[in-house]
Amino acid sequence: MNRQFPIRPRALVLAMLALALVLDEAPPTQAQQPPAAARDPQIGQAFPVPYRRTLTNHYLVRARINGQGPFNFLVDTGAPALFIGTAVAKKIGLNPEAGEFWTAVDRFDLEGGIKLTNLKARVEDPFQLEGMNALGLPGATIDGILGFTVLARFKMEFDPRSDRMTWTRLDYEPKEPFVPKDPADRQAPAEVQAMNMLGPAMKLAAMFLGKQPEDLKQPQGVLGMALKETGEGNTLAVQIAQVWPRSAAHQAGLEPGDQLVSLGKQSVHSLQAAHEAMAQVKPGDPVEITIQRGADRLERTVTAGPGF
Amino acid sequence: MKTLIPLHRALLGLGLGLCAWGWSDAQPPAPMARAGENVQDGASAKAEAQPVVVPFKMLPSNHMVVELKLNGKGPYRFIFDLGAPVTLVNGKTAEESGAIPKNAPRSFMMGVRGEGKAEKLEMGDLQASEVPVIVMDHPALKALSGILGRPLVGIVGYTFWARYKMTIDYQAKQMTFVPIDFEVRDLMKDLPERMSGSKKRQTIMLAPRSLWGLTVAEPSDGLSSRGVPIEGVVPGSPAETAGLKPGDILMAIDGRWTSSVADSFDAAQTIAPGKTVAVHILRDGVEVERMLTPAEGI
Repeated sequence: MNRQFPIRPRALVLAMLALALVLDEAPPTQAQQPPAAARDPQIGQAFPVPYRRTLTNHYLVRARINGQGPFNFLVDTGAPALFIGTAVAKKIGLNPEAGEFWTAVDRFDLEGGIKLTNLKARVEDPFQLEGMNALGLPGATIDGILGFTVLARFKMEFDPRSDRMTWTRLDYEPKEPFVPKDPADRQAPAEVQAMNMLGPAMKLAAMFLGKQPEDLKQPQGVLGMALKETGEGNTLAVQIAQVWPRSAAHQAGLEPGDQLVSLGKQSVHSLQAAHEAMAQVKPGDPVEITIQRGADRLERTVTAGPGF
Repeated sequence: MKTLIPLHRALLGLGLGLCAWGWSDAQPPAPMARAGENVQDGASAKAEAQPVVVPFKMLPSNHMVVELKLNGKGPYRFIFDLGAPVTLVNGKTAEESGAIPKNAPRSFMMGVRGEGKAEKLEMGDLQASEVPVIVMDHPALKALSGILGRPLVGIVGYTFWARYKMTIDYQAKQMTFVPIDFEVRDLMKDLPERMSGSKKRQTIMLAPRSLWGLTVAEPSDGLSSRGVPIEGVVPGSPAETAGLKPGDILMAIDGRWTSSVADSFDAAQTIAPGKTVAVHILRDGVEVERMLTPAEGI
């Protein structure tokens, strides 16, 4: 690959990453506490929200917009509102009205059980996302940004060691930032506009560097036998506790009470070893299996099935 | 990374780039930041039970602002940003606090100065050491400072907050922090590798640790899908015991959406054998919850 091109991709990316702070095109106004609306039944409830951390150290949660999805959203206290990327908006038929800055979202469900209604979103591609997605840097497509107008409805508890955050619904309805009526008044400061050049620059860089593909997720195959450990120390062994009807194990003639000796040439003396031996087995793969049945040592080849 | 270094150097000569990021290669690698070492009064491990409370203010622009000291200088006003993978300081403040040497190179675009380090970062009663920072004049910060009439000099990002278990309470306008032992991944090291690395798709095996007795298919109704259709339920399996049937739509396992086959495996692999979890299904259009205890097996 020819690397002689006049762009510093790393510098661009760093600039982009640093700029997870999203500045609205609108000047800020005084925050306003809205009148208490109909009380949300979820107020006071705590929800475990699953998330994934991207390769770029961004934290993503999943949401369904008006019942469609799921889509990946960046959790971003540095963003003032809810942003939905234009590609996603188009896919789900969320059409911004001409001249309107905000687009109404009737339902917004977050993985983990949170249900929000009547939100306003800005349909836009913040350049940070555009650039990172173009290069495939995060390892997952980021479809939008959850900013203040969503996040402030919750008390958020976050432990980077856990695979879920806990969001407790507060009795608080944050307002969208004020946006001038006339689109001509919505010009961002010149510096911020200049920043928007980064998105296209990243796309250009992607043409030279190539996009990092998303990871391929391959489900493991299943043999269809319940196992239990017997003995301890030197006598620790794995016994078949149950063989599922029509499973790979059943077709190979395995029976409850058989003791596992080896799986795919790896000797198996513990449950952990049994799982490790299966680690790379896909549905359809042959697996050599040796068992001890009474005084007999039997060898069989089973074909892993689908499912879990 | 190595392949990018000559590129950086070459571009320096051309004067086309933003900044000489290649220089960071010459520096000794920043120590992997580990939490647990940075509580006030050195009360490290014991502090797990004692969260440190840090108040914040909301800007009219809906951004969170915290005050912090860098290397004893300040206080400075920073934006606290869960969406920022790096901590960022503007050039002036970085120089003033010694986070970057005064003779660090400048670039034309956004005053990018490179990577620096805050030996000591204090936020309220919280104290962290060796926090890597990116030094640049963030245009959005500049613009915000201008509009609001008070300077904002940086952004607190992942390299700081990932050292803690934290809560953010917008109603009380306060955060709490408890240091944890968590390896804060250094993006600056991984990033060049990822950018210049092979473009080969990585395969990740999805390995449920337990037996459920289910086969599921990809949904046929696209983005409107509420889950994966259950194709098969093994007789005598935990899935059958829980009352699942072929034709049900599996919506969620233990609160995780199962919107694709891979998703279902993803969700299942977080559940240990013998642990009872809620499973949500859609049967004849009605959402039903069942409790399921997967078995040990392969």
